Amino acid sequence: MFKNSSMKKYSNTKIVAALLLVLVSVRCSHDYPIDEDGLLITARTSCYVSNFDLLGTDFISVITSTTVIPATPTTPAVPSTRNVVIDTTAQTISVQVALGTDLKNLYPQFTLVTDAKLNPKITGKTDFSDLAPRKWTVISGNRKVRKEYTVTVTVQQ
Amino acid sequence: MNLKYIYQLSGFLLLLIFAVACGDDKYEVPTAKREFQDDCIKRSLGPNLVNYRLEFAYAMALPQDMGKIVSAQVEASIPGVVDPVIATNGTFLEHRAYSTDGGGNDKPVQVADPSSTDGSLTKVSFTRDTFAVTLRYYYKIPPEAKGQSVNFTFSATDSNGKTVSMKMGPYTVSSMDMVLDSIVTDNTDMYISISDMAIYTAAQAATIPDKIDLVYLYRALVQPPAPAPALTFKHALVSPAVDPTYLPGVTLPAGVNKNTKIIKVLSLRDQQLARLQYGIFIDDLDFKNLDTSTASNFAINLKNEAGGWIETADGQYRAYIYINAVNDASKNMKISMKRLKMF
Repeated sequence: MFKNSSMKKYSNTKIVAALLLVLVSVRCSHDYPIDEDGLLITARTSCYVSNFDLLGTDFISVITSTTVIPATPTTPAVPSTRNVVIDTTAQTISVQVALGTDLKNLYPQFTLVTDAKLNPKITGKTDFSDLAPRKWTVISGNRKVRKEYTVTVTVQQ
Repeated sequence: MNLKYIYQLSGFLLLLIFAVACGDDKYEVPTAKREFQDDCIKRSLGPNLVNYRLEFAYAMALPQDMGKIVSAQVEASIPGVVDPVIATNGTFLEHRAYSTDGGGNDKPVQVADPSSTDGSLTKVSFTRDTFAVTLRYYYKIPPEAKGQSVNFTFSATDSNGKTVSMKMGPYTVSSMDMVLDSIVTDNTDMYISISDMAIYTAAQAATIPDKIDLVYLYRALVQPPAPAPALTFKHALVSPAVDPTYLPGVTLPAGVNKNTKIIKVLSLRDQQLARLQYGIFIDDLDFKNLDTSTASNFAINLKNEAGGWIETADGQYRAYIYINAVNDASKNMKISMKRLKMF
């Protein structure tokens, strides 16, 4: 009886220890690397800005749009488009903002390719009042490709 | 520990859990206290502004066989404003009890004579045998209470001579001022004074140029030198010292030159200014914490339900102007304003 019970106890301990080992090994596995911001580092190498917007103090886009050109018998209608030109080869973004934009208080908004991140991070307002170009770097998903984009703002005249 | 004991123990614990979980206390209707009681809630929300009213609901009751309520009264620490003509526009205690009908309308039942207010004390004496009632109390905040706290003591007396009472407060009265529904019109009533909280014409503005903080104008489009296309301008609030681009065709009266700061906002629909369904209130603290360091001095293309944070050139006043309505055809805007004196 005594022997039997001690054996049971022994096997029990073994099972618990084995389970613990499995748990620890799973917890410590580093299959998914993360970067200094706690973001996942992936295999993606794409590195570009897919959309850009500038918001005013009222959080409404200040970017102007082109006027619609109606269709003629020979040409189709041209719809209104926003005045944002993103050149992913030259790594430039040009935007035109409306008359009356408060250039000191603009919130830039970038849309990036999957897994990419931006440096420096946008934490609030940016002052564009000197109309000088501003630079942001896009970093790819694998954190190995870096592309510096230049943002130029012009005011509607 | 022996494994057998572990099983026994866990089995016992499970049993215990079942026993506790299955306990079904029989519901009993609570028995009412055999005494005269009262209760009170504050019904109005938001900052307590001078000349606006606080609303309370004061409930009092005693068992029917124990007697009836004789009188109810409210004492405010600062006497409220009493309207001499229409009492229900000032400070008063309801002499009617309300119930709600199927259509959601208040149906009054008169239980007492209209209340009388003597200094800080507002009182009603019951004329109908009443053993349970809720009366509303309205307190119109007097100008002298600005920036101070106000307390209320609600009390009621029954036919046995017993009095119950309840203290409410303290409630801080806001230091803000508010003006609702002023109309600014392009070319006529277009000069806004924050210090006076008023709208002036050019002729009036010329006599008080130091008090003019903002200019309202409406231009559907502005035309820069050809061949550039015309640009949208619409309803605008600009400071007199703004770049002339934002004052097209406006000749300011002599001396009107203040550089007022303005931050354009949208959808900040303060409940007291907009009187819409949104439960947003701009309070004294919002003005105190406002960062105007990078504010501009113009806001154009303003729309309905938009607004602007304003700071006067000398920093003495901060205000929020809410746009209740815009009218492109008649070139005017209906605005409401909250203002705080900073020093």
